[in-house]
Amino acid sequence: MARIGVFVCHCGTNIAGVVSIPAVLEAAKKMPGVVVAADDKYSCSDPGQAHIRAVIEQNKLNRVVIGSCSPRMHEFTFRKVMVKAGLNPYFLEVANIREQVSWVHSNDKEKATAKAIDHVMIAVAKVARDEALFPKRVPLTKRALVIGAGITGIQAALDIASAGHPVTLVEREASIGGHMAQLDKTFPTLDCSACILTPKMVEVAQHPNITLLTYSEVRQVSGFVGNFDVEIVKKARKVDSKKCTGCGVCWLKCPEKVPAEFNEGLGTREAIYVPFPQAVPLVPRVDLENCRYIKYLEYMPGKTPGKRPMQCRICEKLCPVQALDWEQQDEVVKEKFGAIVVATGYKTFDPSVCGEYGGGKLPDVISGLQLERMFNSSGPTGGEVLRPSDGTHPKTVVLVSCVGSRDEQRGRPYCSKICCMYTAKQTILLKEHDPEVQCYVFYIDIRTGGKDYEEFARRAQEEYGALYLRGRISRIYEDGKQLVVLGEDSLMGRPVEIRADMVVLATGVEANEGAAELAQTMKLSHDVYDFLTEAHPKLKPVETQTDGILVAGACVGPKDIPECVAQGGAAAAKVSALFSQEMLTSDPMVASVDNARCIGCLLCVQVCPYKAIDTQVLRNGRTVAVVNESLCRACGLCPAVCRPKAVNLRGFTNQQLLAEVNALWQ
Amino acid sequence: MAIDGFEPRIAGFLCNWCSYAGADLAGTSRMSYPSNIRIIRVPCSGRVDPLFVVKAFQQGADGVLVAGCHLGDCHYNEGNFYSRRRFALLAPFLDYLGIQKERFRLEWVSASEGRKFSDVVSSFTSDLKKLGPRSILSPGGRE
Amino acid sequence: MESLDKQIRDKARELLTSGAFACVMGYERATDGKTARPLFAYTPEEAERFVFDQYCTHNLARYLINWRDNKKSVGIVAKPCDTRAINLLINEKQIDRSKLYVIGVACQGIMEVGWGAPTEKLELRCNTCSEPNPVLHDLLVGEFKSESPAAAKAYADVAAIEGKSAEERDGFWQEHFSRCIRCYACRQSCVGCYCQECFVDELDPLWVGIKVAPAENTVWHTIRAFHLAGRCISCNECERVCPVDIPLSLLNRKLEKDGLELFQFQAGMDASVTPPFATFKKGEKLGTGD
Ligand SMILES: Cc1cc2nc3c(=O)[nH]c(=O)nc-3n(C[C@H](O)[C@H](O)[C@H](O)COP(=O)(O)OP(=O)(O)OC[C@H]3O[C@@H](n4cnc5c(N)ncnc54)[C@H](O)[C@@H]3O)c2cc1C
Ligand code: SF4
Ligand code: SF4
Ligand code: FES
Repeated sequence: MARIGVFVCHCGTNIAGVVSIPAVLEAAKKMPGVVVAADDKYSCSDPGQAHIRAVIEQNKLNRVVIGSCSPRMHEFTFRKVMVKAGLNPYFLEVANIREQVSWVHSNDKEKATAKAIDHVMIAVAKVARDEALFPKRVPLTKRALVIGAGITGIQAALDIASAGHPVTLVEREASIGGHMAQLDKTFPTLDCSACILTPKMVEVAQHPNITLLTYSEVRQVSGFVGNFDVEIVKKARKVDSKKCTGCGVCWLKCPEKVPAEFNEGLGTREAIYVPFPQAVPLVPRVDLENCRYIKYLEYMPGKTPGKRPMQCRICEKLCPVQALDWEQQDEVVKEKFGAIVVATGYKTFDPSVCGEYGGGKLPDVISGLQLERMFNSSGPTGGEVLRPSDGTHPKTVVLVSCVGSRDEQRGRPYCSKICCMYTAKQTILLKEHDPEVQCYVFYIDIRTGGKDYEEFARRAQEEYGALYLRGRISRIYEDGKQLVVLGEDSLMGRPVEIRADMVVLATGVEANEGAAELAQTMKLSHDVYDFLTEAHPKLKPVETQTDGILVAGACVGPKDIPECVAQGGAAAAKVSALFSQEMLTSDPMVASVDNARCIGCLLCVQVCPYKAIDTQVLRNGRTVAVVNESLCRACGLCPAVCRPKAVNLRGFTNQQLLAEVNALWQ
Repeated sequence: MAIDGFEPRIAGFLCNWCSYAGADLAGTSRMSYPSNIRIIRVPCSGRVDPLFVVKAFQQGADGVLVAGCHLGDCHYNEGNFYSRRRFALLAPFLDYLGIQKERFRLEWVSASEGRKFSDVVSSFTSDLKKLGPRSILSPGGRE
Repeated sequence: MESLDKQIRDKARELLTSGAFACVMGYERATDGKTARPLFAYTPEEAERFVFDQYCTHNLARYLINWRDNKKSVGIVAKPCDTRAINLLINEKQIDRSKLYVIGVACQGIMEVGWGAPTEKLELRCNTCSEPNPVLHDLLVGEFKSESPAAAKAYADVAAIEGKSAEERDGFWQEHFSRCIRCYACRQSCVGCYCQECFVDELDPLWVGIKVAPAENTVWHTIRAFHLAGRCISCNECERVCPVDIPLSLLNRKLEKDGLELFQFQAGMDASVTPPFATFKKGEKLGTGD
């Protein structure tokens, strides 16, 4: 039997000055299940709380209604009083008679009192249907997984590791570093990218709390915050990383040459290779597509076109420590993690779809990233800016911004944010590499939000003489040895034609290859461009809809290095805060499914914003919905769409809400 | 043609994160509005099953208000998009059954819009006064 | 061309002989020699009794649910509206398409068979039908139609109600609802009403009062129809079986009409389309809460 106690707070005169407390008490005593009704000057004060406790104990109450300020103010306070009085804290309802009654109806005391009584009645009706709820305590694995080892992932991993928690850092490529490793100097300070990145990369390799898995990918993620089960595939390198010393004879002697991805197709690399000299780990991998020995092994007479290649194996013969292991296979690592940071970065827009820029066919039209590689002294040109067509030094360079950005027609309406700045940087570096160079920049707007950014972009124009022309390019074509760039100066309102030696396209930022698939593996949402979606664009920039999974860096949207570092650090801070708990308590106010009622229509599965509902097959073969309590955030979308009323939301059950509706007017 | 002395009854389902907080703010800012509304707190406008609305009318409500965060601001991101679809279909259906569409309102009130909340209740109340009591239909409710 | 009956019998026999099928459902001649009744054929011999003509009124998709957890496949003779029902059930994961063989019949319209003698008059559903061809079939029998003769009239009667004043609408429905005896025949005949326990039967919470009274009946009819919003496939079985002639189709088709206007959605047309309450578009204009 429900033994309900109603406590009405005067809140000084805040409530009592408008609402007739005696009338409310009088009415409350007649409400079904109510054993006692009492008042307090201030229910939330220490004496008020003590009084409530005493009345609970004297009257052996098991449910409590407090008519007072908004439950958003003191529900938590009163729940604690319940616990002190030995009751389940969820046997409590707060009737809002201050914010929603006395403060807004002070001009009509009678009507205010009537409404206060109704609000108390609604709460009494609900409290009678309250259920005892118990928060669950679940253990948590204090080990973090960081996916993607660009600057963002590196920063996150280092910060989590320094806070004392083990981290596994998974990188798809053979080395960590991401795009930042490809850059030469960085805006707005022009410090060398490698000089600031390499120490961090080395720290990752040496940190006792970091396990580095390169050339690896996350295949499967299940579970929930504190307890994710993850499968990672370590792809076969065919080199035993325990034996390899990184001496480099193998790649120096390998006879096979293919275009170097790290150099954006400029120059070549070998079939056994490290992407760049400062690679971490400094362990080569065999490129299975191009290795002559592998081709020899895979040769099928009559089927594979061409002659059977030679059994090369030069690397194996030369390796001083016998590190080559042709038997090595992909390996699956299964591990438990408490939190996951996704930092899978971006890729750049592919300009070959743009006919106006030559469709990728003009050799001297290059991308911003290719230019970065040329600037770099360990790059394909040894640090010289050379025309790919004939290896000469360009004297007139046109840089085009917004290639694949702010372009509705190509489905890229967003601003890539970094291109204005890196274009300005590149005009400066071009001039520094060769003072005779004249740079022209075609732009739509110059966006330089950021500390010292505007000053930097101005320097490019004022000190380094880059000429900025506002307008789009209509066509680029070859004329003899030069390129003719046709465009429009929209400020002057006239067409322009520039004869250039080289054109650099500031290609925009796109979601990385496989971003959508990875999001699906983790049930994360992504936008139409496949950038991952944060839980709240302002207040929860690194959280996601799924507790325990964080996102950071350019995988969320275009970002420059300072922002990436900040986000990596922020994600790490969230992970550390999570790991500071010994156990996770889960809110008991979540949804649950009554198997007998559920018809398996799975409408709930489709609407749940947190993908918290799964299916299970009962012993009789029926498929029904099942709520993962750790993922549920208690929005109540599922009960509202469930026709047979099989799924219910604790704390706001159908029974409770219907009781409230039925109690609306007395 | 307001009916003299008629005080409409309004049932209000307010989402906890925006509209309920907006109603609280109306209180904190002492904005007075008609006392005709009775408020039921729900986690999200998406929690409101059309059944609750129908039951509220059956209980004698002259009008029902469902209020949530602005589209795009739902605490659960998507809840109000779903509730909007549901009520976009329910409102004309109730109208078809004789419960005029003016008797149902779906409003977006943010936690900072105390003023908007009080305006919504005021205008809803005065609209309902003009409309009069829910005539013959109020089955189980008032005569 | 072979007769419909023969084509159906041949296929049914073939399915039942294969051993993979537990049952083929269709129609056989009723005892009055004129109308038809459902036939559940379990053996090749029983398949010889299948017929199809304009008196095959029942929507047999309703019975597919009974085979939901069966290991073997089932076959079904389905009219266009029945095939929409099948799509609905596939969409709602109630049947497995791979365990189902649909003999779709392009339909000539079904004659009204009320409680009395069979008539020569087309059913209401056929007069408002918007899809005269099966939307799903493994075998198609009968003649495919290039357009629906009735589509234009689909909602004329609904619009007529919409045109009335609120008082008139109120009075209209109260008159009908007050006659409801809550036999739930409408629910029993409905392909979409397959819940183990219907909300109306629930005692805790008690959504609908047990008393058969206008107020409670109104809640029942409002929610019955709304639970079929975006799901009703307009076979109109509910109205056909209602013993007190409540025009239930007017409720269902109002929701269908609005569903089409608001969400461009019509139930059962394509099993792969997400139903309207399980999805949304951010920028859509719906007239409520925009
Ligand atoms: C031409 C150019 C010049 C630039 N110049 C500057 C500059 O001067 N200053 C500045 O601040 N910014 C500059 N930027 C921007 C800078 O590159 C980015 O801000 C930064 O590198 C983003 O870091 P990130 O770690 O988020 O992403 P990334 O660097 O893209 O790193 C992501 C990492 O994740 C890995 N990965 C991806 N998917 C998976 C997967 N499924 N599993 C495992 N690993 C995966 C990738 O291999 C990669 O190593 C420039 C960009 C360009 C294009
Ligand atoms: S909506 Fe209800 S009946 Fe359908 S699967 Fe979910 S819990 Fe089961
Ligand atoms: S209450 Fe919301 S979060 Fe929880 S299972 Fe239901 S739809 Fe998902
Ligand atoms: S939380 Fe306010 S509408 Fe969803």
